[in-house]
Amino acid sequence: MNPRNLPRLALLLALAAGPLLAAASLTPDPDNGGITLPDGFRAVVVADKLKPLRNIAVAPNGDLYAKTRQAGIIALRDTNGDGKADDIQEFGSGGGTGIALHNGYLYHSTDDHVFRYKLTPGELVPTGEPERIVRDLPNRRQHSAKAIAFGADGQLYVEVGSPSNALGQPDRALGAKGQDPTEFLKTHGGYWRFDPDKPEQTQADGHHVSTGHRHSTSIALNPVSKKLFVAIHGRDQLNTVAPQFFTAEDNAENPSEVFHLLEDGADFGWPTTYWDPREKKRKLNPEYGGDGTKLAEPGKFPDPLIGFPAHWAPMQMAFYTGTQFPEKYRGGAFLAFHGSWNRAPLPQRGYNVVYIPFNQDGMPTGDYEIFADGFAGADKLESPGDAKHRPNGVAVGPDGSLYISDSQAGRIWRIFYQK
Amino acid sequence: MRSALPFLLLAFLPACNRPAPEPPAPAAATPTADGETLFQQHCATCHMANGSGVPYLQPDIRRSAWITAEDPQPLLKLILRGSAAMGEFANSYENDMPPFEHLSDADIAALATRVRERFTTPPPSTPITPADVATARQ
Repeated sequence: MNPRNLPRLALLLALAAGPLLAAASLTPDPDNGGITLPDGFRAVVVADKLKPLRNIAVAPNGDLYAKTRQAGIIALRDTNGDGKADDIQEFGSGGGTGIALHNGYLYHSTDDHVFRYKLTPGELVPTGEPERIVRDLPNRRQHSAKAIAFGADGQLYVEVGSPSNALGQPDRALGAKGQDPTEFLKTHGGYWRFDPDKPEQTQADGHHVSTGHRHSTSIALNPVSKKLFVAIHGRDQLNTVAPQFFTAEDNAENPSEVFHLLEDGADFGWPTTYWDPREKKRKLNPEYGGDGTKLAEPGKFPDPLIGFPAHWAPMQMAFYTGTQFPEKYRGGAFLAFHGSWNRAPLPQRGYNVVYIPFNQDGMPTGDYEIFADGFAGADKLESPGDAKHRPNGVAVGPDGSLYISDSQAGRIWRIFYQK
Repeated sequence: MRSALPFLLLAFLPACNRPAPEPPAPAAATPTADGETLFQQHCATCHMANGSGVPYLQPDIRRSAWITAEDPQPLLKLILRGSAAMGEFANSYENDMPPFEHLSDADIAALATRVRERFTTPPPSTPITPADVATARQ
């Protein structure tokens, strides 16, 4: 090799390895981008003031892809390894929430369809038009985000939410009466499984995996147990519908956002029931005759593996498959909580990222702890519109850093561990 | 002194024996509370105490054209019928607004008057009356 080419070769190697440089070489933001983290963890702001961001995915070379709620996908590349994105481009359109990388493709969902782009190795932005894999999913505005993930079977799992609070009539109104959910649940409130390679599939072409949920924007595959886990948004407004049974505080603390194993045939008990986190019991919704005390039929629906606090709003979830973080954080899942609105007049809560430990069998221990906090920017938050940031997406990078996206002010953090 | 015991016992009746609240008859002439209290009871849950709403889900009403309009009828129809009275605007947000027709004319008049005072600059000088609400119900 010509010795004069050595400096150029060194530069090329450094550029290629930039995104993969060890966390020890990253310089954190002095204030960790405004959030609080456990001891030893630091954060660098990858990019800021982007559009409202939803879920994110990180490629094996460190390229980051972020869904925007109402526009395209933002692609980010850190070319010099300082943690901050230098090449930021937007492509595509349609808005939406779901995004996942699989077999060299970037899959993403709008509120109606699931598309995929073929990625060219080394290229940040895919060329060409996306291929539509699933089309015309139900969309009636409420709970229309379509989370996607891949199972151990390599199949594409897609959520279809329920455009409803608790299927009451009138919904969210005083004295709302529960409707028969049978027909409704045939096309809403569940997960469907599709062939990831076949274009133009309809909902009817998919396999109906699970039913009985209100809205789920959290689904991730545990690589040890090879099982999918989901978190589900609980109903709102118990005290609006039935003030004779529920106070404002009852409503602020009920029901749990529930965490479940996703298995074929699962029925998670909505709309007729909810999970009471204080008594750890499944109860009847007031729309279906509940009064805050009446229990659901025993054994009909599974108890949640974890009952998160009411109204925290679980968003993207990612299992930690890296080795950068200390042993305590390996094998479990990070879950972003968008933050509440329906706790008012009590202060809003959530607006954080929790860590959910899993055991050596790839099952949750039942515990969780807050990992990243302070996103709201205020201790006593009255309204979500006043929050500085709202965590939405989480993804683990190839070096084991954790990325978090923000739907409020368009910020992305890269969390890393420095001994 | 008469014993307070019976009243104390009443306070501890099981929740399932509590009757559903009786909605006030529409023709009741007196509001059950002042407009601000009614706003906090019925509207703040979704639109927040400061009216700022919830991004994408429920609108920020602080500069809403529905509230600042000279003619109160569209606002009153919206309160009475919820999203059904909004036309295309209902598609701008993800959650539907339920109807509040179960509130009395006097309550809705007080509520709507207060909403216009809070979120219109300058606030209209003419309050909304129960008769205005009765008209909106037709």
